[in-house]
Amino acid sequence: MSGGFLDRSSTIAAPNFNRFCVPPAAIAVHLAIGQVYAFSTFNIPLTRLIGLSESAPGDWSQKQVVWIFSIAIAVLGSSAAVFGRWVERVGPRKAMLVAALCFAGGFLVGAIGIHLHSLWLLYAGYGVLGGCGLGIGYISPVSTLIKWFPDRPGMATGMAIMGFGGGALIAAPLSVMLMAHFKSATSNGVLESFVTMGVIYFMFMVIGVIAVRVPPPDWKPAGWIAEAKPKALVTSGNVAASVAWRTPQFWLLWGVLCMNVTAGIGVLGVASPMIQEIFSGRVTAASAAGFVGLISLFNMGGRFFWASISDYIGRRATYMLFFLLGILLYSTVPTIGFGGHIGLFVAAFCIILSMYGGGFATIPAYLRDVFGTMEVGAIHGRLLTAWSVAGVLGPVLVSNLRDYQLAHGVPKAQAYSVTMYVMCGMLLIGFLCNLSMRPVDAKHHHQSP
Amino acid sequence: MKARLVLLWLIVGVPLAWGVFKTLQNVIKLLQ
Repeated sequence: MSGGFLDRSSTIAAPNFNRFCVPPAAIAVHLAIGQVYAFSTFNIPLTRLIGLSESAPGDWSQKQVVWIFSIAIAVLGSSAAVFGRWVERVGPRKAMLVAALCFAGGFLVGAIGIHLHSLWLLYAGYGVLGGCGLGIGYISPVSTLIKWFPDRPGMATGMAIMGFGGGALIAAPLSVMLMAHFKSATSNGVLESFVTMGVIYFMFMVIGVIAVRVPPPDWKPAGWIAEAKPKALVTSGNVAASVAWRTPQFWLLWGVLCMNVTAGIGVLGVASPMIQEIFSGRVTAASAAGFVGLISLFNMGGRFFWASISDYIGRRATYMLFFLLGILLYSTVPTIGFGGHIGLFVAAFCIILSMYGGGFATIPAYLRDVFGTMEVGAIHGRLLTAWSVAGVLGPVLVSNLRDYQLAHGVPKAQAYSVTMYVMCGMLLIGFLCNLSMRPVDAKHHHQSP
Repeated sequence: MKARLVLLWLIVGVPLAWGVFKTLQNVIKLLQ
């Protein structure tokens, strides 16, 4: 591929181009990188590389292996922040290709790490290199989609970010199938699965690279006229990424995302043991796995549903709904648990997780409303550091609160009650951040030279 | 252009539908 093919100028769409060809390009990238959410399927096999059927002396421990995922998520947030402006400058095609090379390269370097039994190579490969692919890939189609769909920015970015949620649904059964296929007397199949997945995901992401197009400058959908009197928070100006992060609005939205994600991610991590402990004797480990699958579906579906709804009711109202409904649901979950209503309990968490996904998917359109389209991808990249913080904060908070409760003699079935009330507090902080949102002062708007 | 549009949606739609189907299969199997 020549440099020309990858240049932003080569990706400008022809006049008769159908804009609905762009979301699949974005989804192709997000479906691939969404694999990270299913990385846990490799955790146990990675602890049995020597012993194969059981862990043997010299095998890595579970505690060492889970760091691969944590590093990848931390690097996702930081690389999105660091490379955001570069992504805006070079355009989506080059950024998507670099993301594909990093993500697939992460698998291949990881495979070498497995072959040499070097955990550090796995951390550097899948964790750091793959994590860069995750961060760049996550933000690369966002501003392009927003520019193609000025009339429905929530729906457009919701589709792509739904792909990220869907990626886990594909990767979990795919990894299990590949490991079963490659299993032999000398290998548990994880090395071969890494190589195969690296190749498959690279090819899949390249489809996005080829298909993506940017709209010509000042392009608008046929017949679409921007609202004469835009909604309260929607700006007509543009704010540069280097200026945006110095505004209070950026940090309020950072708080909105961080609180919304913390409340969801903490529960997502402990969903299986939580339902088994609250309904002890009534929910088996197998049923709990079904519960995790169900909430993953709602996590994915909520991304498209809520982001699309936000185009009609507004971004601030959508987050108000997330926080108020979230507080209501989290505060009633302990009562539902004590009452033994499994169906209501499952329904409550399905709604909570749909709002968790919805929070991710609606934030790019919220940023576009507040800061304009000029560098929305770069601003989104910087805001994703809230995800990295929440990724640590949520699980740590939930597991520590549970351990503290158990250490003080609280029965297992009730050990999550305080956690639920703490989540309500976090959602309240998010609610207040969202309530404080005001339009960005016009002095921050970018002035064209 | 229409063929390209359909093809692109099939490329991403089929694997996604497969993933949703496999998950639902597990959910139903496990919740029974």
